[in-house]
Amino acid sequence: MLRKRIIFTLIYEDGFFNQSRNFRLQKVGNIRWLEMNYHFQDIAFSLDEIVVLNASKGDKNLKDFASMLNRLVDNVFIPIAAGGGINSVADAEVLFENGADKIVLNSALYEKPNMVRDIVRHYGKQSVVGSVDYINQDVFIKNGVQKIDIPLDSYIKNLESMNVGEIYLNSIEQDGTGFGYDIDTIQRISSIIKMPLIVAGGAGNEKHLLEAISLENVDAVATANLFNFIGDGLPNARKYLIEKHCNLVQSV
Amino acid sequence: MKVVIVDYGMGNVRSVASALKFLNVDSIISSEEKDLNKADKLILPGVGAFGSAMEMVKARGLDVALCEQVIQRKKPVLGICLGMQLLGVSSDEGGGTEGLGFVDGCVGIFNDEYVIIPHIGFNQVTPKSSSRLYRGMGHSLDFYFVHSHKMDSNSDIGQSYCDYNGNFVASFERDNIAGTQFHPELSKTNGLDVLKNFLELF
Amino acid sequence: MNKKEVFWCKSCLNMSTRNRISFDEKGNCNACQWRDEKQSMDWRPRQKELVDLLDKFRSTNGNFDCIVPVSGGKDGSYVAHQLKHKYGMNPLTITVKPALSLEIGDQNLSNFIQSGFNHIHISCNPLVLDRLNKYGFIEKGFPYYGWLIAITTAVIKMAVNFKIPLIFYGENGEVEYGGCTQNKDKGLYDLEYMKRVYLEGGHDKVLDRIKADSDISDADLSFFQFPEQEILAEVGVSFTHWSYYESWDSYRNYVVAKEKCGLIEKDEGNSDTFTNFAQNDQALYSLHAYLMYLKFGFGRATQDAGIEIRRGAMTRDQAINLVKMYDNAYPEELIETFTTYYQMTNDEFDAVLDKYANKNLFEKRGRVWLPKFDVAQDFSYEEFL
Repeated sequence: MLRKRIIFTLIYEDGFFNQSRNFRLQKVGNIRWLEMNYHFQDIAFSLDEIVVLNASKGDKNLKDFASMLNRLVDNVFIPIAAGGGINSVADAEVLFENGADKIVLNSALYEKPNMVRDIVRHYGKQSVVGSVDYINQDVFIKNGVQKIDIPLDSYIKNLESMNVGEIYLNSIEQDGTGFGYDIDTIQRISSIIKMPLIVAGGAGNEKHLLEAISLENVDAVATANLFNFIGDGLPNARKYLIEKHCNLVQSV
Repeated sequence: MKVVIVDYGMGNVRSVASALKFLNVDSIISSEEKDLNKADKLILPGVGAFGSAMEMVKARGLDVALCEQVIQRKKPVLGICLGMQLLGVSSDEGGGTEGLGFVDGCVGIFNDEYVIIPHIGFNQVTPKSSSRLYRGMGHSLDFYFVHSHKMDSNSDIGQSYCDYNGNFVASFERDNIAGTQFHPELSKTNGLDVLKNFLELF
Repeated sequence: MNKKEVFWCKSCLNMSTRNRISFDEKGNCNACQWRDEKQSMDWRPRQKELVDLLDKFRSTNGNFDCIVPVSGGKDGSYVAHQLKHKYGMNPLTITVKPALSLEIGDQNLSNFIQSGFNHIHISCNPLVLDRLNKYGFIEKGFPYYGWLIAITTAVIKMAVNFKIPLIFYGENGEVEYGGCTQNKDKGLYDLEYMKRVYLEGGHDKVLDRIKADSDISDADLSFFQFPEQEILAEVGVSFTHWSYYESWDSYRNYVVAKEKCGLIEKDEGNSDTFTNFAQNDQALYSLHAYLMYLKFGFGRATQDAGIEIRRGAMTRDQAINLVKMYDNAYPEELIETFTTYYQMTNDEFDAVLDKYANKNLFEKRGRVWLPKFDVAQDFSYEEFL
């Protein structure tokens, strides 16, 4: 029986990992900070996947990002999806070569559908995660800055036909508030697509994770809340979800 | 022990190398015949499309080289994910492509009428009782899968199954040839244990 | 010998050492009890009180009708914004310039004013302010005591001069964060409360000390003196807290200040807490927070954690991790700023910190004070009388 997944999302910007609140970033620490306070080698056993997003503005400096990714994946034995500013198949290749098992596309889904098609064709649809940032019915690209003219439900249906492997649905309004996921939208979206759905935006504690992961058509819950889950936060959250009979990998 | 991770331009070789390093095994990533020659064991990774992969393999002469190493010299090889599928006879992907043909298994797409594809996430494998890959491990083991195509076989290739609306080949092992549809380098401790078993028992 | 218990609130991480705090039989502090009350109570009577109060004071001739002390931060900005745009008042906003103001604080204040407010920026004679701050630091362990006095006294002076009878503070910190609940159910309060609680009764002592300095005259202390009781009575100055009339939510304040008043956050975060959108106006705040830590065992992170727990954005267990990480934050990177400001040597500076460190809670190892306790692990110690 296919398990559900707990995913931790790291938001990277110019050498630092960040706490995001409604898409406003606060620097928290660099990779050394992360290693010290998150012990990712150990924490990774409490997770099922990691997503790393390059939120750097302007020149995204793919080289630095790739180099950080390389260091991050060392001794981490779960899948890593990486993305942010992928502008060409070559960019995707750099990430695959540096430790990404899947890549995450966001703005490109809207701006460069041909590139998306090429990446899917070459690497397979299972290698591509389509990330969507939204507020109500509005979809935003470019780190939440630019609103596009296609309403959320249609946009997501369209992604299904573009052959991306999974959807990463992120609520800008809930992001970083610690108040829980946007359950209403999640339920609606999950009922109109037939593809793996990862939900993100708003998780503050394990109860929120439970609420979302218990929904029938949600396959994975993601949180980027560095502060709330620091220390033993993630292992405790996993233990809690398992106690509540969530379908998760148990002993490792 | 020298392990060569066969590089044909597709596949996340880094994670595999990282896992091997964790297990204190030296590995190099190469497609050169001389390196394959010197290897004690081979790992064939793979991410992407079957057709493209076979093209890249043939372009580097790896189909011949691997046949020499694996079939003639009986060097242990572990195929991972697409790499495992390449060791089979064929895939119906892209209208039908021939694989390396080292084991009798055929690759086809999941039926999306009943399940969501791709098959992504951790799912349980039921190890065949005599299996070396899962030696010392339990009876229902979670591993990470990420694929849209699966292998089936009518022969006995030492397969262990995973159930995703019906059993499909999660792994096979026959003499020196092994393959896992799942990614052992992404499957936490279970994955590392399988890699260890391959390195020690093949 | 006397056995003293030290314990943490069962809901948030407030410590029993906090001045004037009280706990119920379940071990919940008064801030958490108030949080529960806030959620279930009917706010309409208090809303009506606010409307009646504002109707009574609303200006009909274009004069200012209320004063909102602001720093450019989220709370004052929120209150001023609500008074002006929701209730149609004509607020005069006032800032007393702190010593060692931070660039981001200045920017936020400027953005706030730019968003459309009348504002007075008071600079107390820095020579006097700095002297008072220093005495406050040494005599009471309050690094910006001069400023703390002035934000009350100078504001009241303005109220008297402009004949504005109503001063709106943001939240009653004692009620919202833990402390004296005397005014919990009171809308308006008086000067005596301000002197006793906010200035902790030290106002006269510190002023006496500075008056003893030959180079400071009474005239120099104009901004730091309370007006005579009779003059106050003539204008009829009342103080009130916004948090009495509307459920206080500092995160909501942040969001509104961000959207309406141009508030920006500190990108690089802080070394002593996990938030980046509060207390960004002056460098001395870090020292104030650190002294609080040394005196009582809790720092800025504990306070911020309490706010997050009470608004439901974090669990107590999660908060413990953060408090352990951030609370003991000797402001290393600012030490030179502080010693230069106070004109003290490093040794003299450290001696003041040493004086205020509660030896029942901390022990000094080398140059650093380390807690003898574990966060959220209740304990007791023998106090020698």
